[in-house]
Amino acid sequence: MTEAQDNQSLPVQSAVRVERHFPRFTLAQRWEHALLFLSFTVLALTGLPQKYFDLWGHLILTSPSRLILVRQIHHAAAVVLIIEVIYHIGHSLYLMLRGRLSADIFPTWKDFRDAWQMLRYLFFLTERKPEFGKYNFEQKFTYWFLFVGIGILVLTGIILWFPIQWTRVFPGETIPAAYRAHSSEALVALIFIVVWHFYHVHVERLNLSIFSGRLSEREMQDYHTLEYRRLVEEEARANFGEPDAPESGEIAG
Amino acid sequence: MAKPESFAVMPCVAFKFTIFVLVPIFAVLSFSQPVYARDSSQETTEDYCLSCHADPDLDLNFPDGETLFLYISPEALSHSVHSSLGIECIACHTDIRSYPHPPVEFNNPRELAQSYFQACQKCHSDLFAEAMDSIHAAAVEQGSDSAPICTDCHTAHAVQAPDEPRSQISLTCGECHTEVFDVYRDSVHGAALLEAENPDVPVCTDCHGVHAIQDPTAVAFRVETPELCAGCHADPELMSQYGLNSDVYSTYQLSWHGVDVTVYQARWPNLWHSSAVCTDCHGVHNILSSSDPQSSVHPDNLLGTCQQCHPGAGPQFVGAWTGHTQIDLQRNPYVFYTDIFYRYFAYLVLMVSAIYVLLQILRATVVRVRRSLG
Repeated sequence: MTEAQDNQSLPVQSAVRVERHFPRFTLAQRWEHALLFLSFTVLALTGLPQKYFDLWGHLILTSPSRLILVRQIHHAAAVVLIIEVIYHIGHSLYLMLRGRLSADIFPTWKDFRDAWQMLRYLFFLTERKPEFGKYNFEQKFTYWFLFVGIGILVLTGIILWFPIQWTRVFPGETIPAAYRAHSSEALVALIFIVVWHFYHVHVERLNLSIFSGRLSEREMQDYHTLEYRRLVEEEARANFGEPDAPESGEIAG
Repeated sequence: MAKPESFAVMPCVAFKFTIFVLVPIFAVLSFSQPVYARDSSQETTEDYCLSCHADPDLDLNFPDGETLFLYISPEALSHSVHSSLGIECIACHTDIRSYPHPPVEFNNPRELAQSYFQACQKCHSDLFAEAMDSIHAAAVEQGSDSAPICTDCHTAHAVQAPDEPRSQISLTCGECHTEVFDVYRDSVHGAALLEAENPDVPVCTDCHGVHAIQDPTAVAFRVETPELCAGCHADPELMSQYGLNSDVYSTYQLSWHGVDVTVYQARWPNLWHSSAVCTDCHGVHNILSSSDPQSSVHPDNLLGTCQQCHPGAGPQFVGAWTGHTQIDLQRNPYVFYTDIFYRYFAYLVLMVSAIYVLLQILRATVVRVRRSLG
């Protein structure tokens, strides 16, 4: 963020080529991703051996006491994830209500048009990729698919953790349903992350903005063309005598 | 497990000698032995023995003060499985060849019986060896006088086929295990056996084994319980005769309880586990039809049964048990729709994601190749 500010004062035609960066994620958001990443990894590593006990889980869960230990670790990681989820929803709602968080993450009709054009591009019907804003439809799909998935996992996990308390209010049959949903949804989420998310952030291009918090000018031009244009226009407007225009980087939701 | 001392201390050579030399010789001899014909004019040893032992007043006093009546009913003896095959007194009473008999060196009738029953292994070596591995033999080994030896269940002289009628098996066990027998008699299994001589319900030995009876309170026995019950209750042909559902075992195995028990059975069969096996809910000897108001799994009693392991469970908790039936829409709508959802929708999403990524890889490769060519 500070770099972007510094770079604004540099002349455009400089003898030194300056790599401009654009802020993408706030420090808090990067921490959130780190927590999510860590807790989800631990949950998957402690959950899968239980799901696939007969296949290979027994090689890890060699004794009942180790099974209990693994379940305790699973619960501890679940608490971290639940706190993160509560913080994420609460903080985002707070920022949105105060008008400090853009609505970029919500799906729009443009996302469907983009997806359609992307399909045409993938089937060689057009040579032109769609142009994206701050988040493209793939990234929005990632966010919402995992948002719902983790929501299901958290809810069903709590049901399985406190079945007696849960059935004071809800029908008992929700417990076996939760058991199946938890087990299946975890696998679906994991495969989705490995296939979809890892492809987009590691294979298609190495996108480490969730760790560094920023994207280069080139990346912005290539992958977030509309957002780049918007920022540049805003910046130009700011340079034409509106010094108090909001710093674009702060809307980083 | 317990072996008779003579077995345990027997050196290897002597053992091999017994197996490879004595046993074949004995076998050949016993087959070639002429069956003592009943109508033979020659007096059989049986008749010879009965000339004294048919006397109802014949008895023997032991040093401990106990008296053993030596009367053998000629009627009962002649109908025994052994006598009718021509196997005579001397086959078991090998030390008695004539009168007067060698002096009796036992302190009481029980000692005598515990010595004489060893003769059974001469012919029934496999069953005898099984019995020696049983919890009964272990109790005898530890000095119990009441733990049964062969003759206690089969009798010594009037030996009959033990399962004619089949209910006789349970009646025999019930002579010592009176409390358990009283409970069993009122169960759905026991009542069908004892009142209607039902050929399919289990008698004691069907679950506990015949000669090699093991400790039923042992962890290893507990973890095998579902498979034991499944022996009959997963048999569609048998269950259909009684209008019972034969999916009970396969669906149990998919339940939380069943998954847990399967894991313990496969990996830690000797470690105690708390997940319910059949008998934890249905009872053991007191099993009743689930429609019987006295049954622990009758809908009215189910909550109390669940609470044995799940204290504090409320009435709705019972619904967590999806029963012993296949999941269907009427009975288990939540589970049914969850299954449908994950079987179709979630995998559809995954497939679409995978195909989309593959298309992207293909497209990107084409772009790269074109660029390098151009």
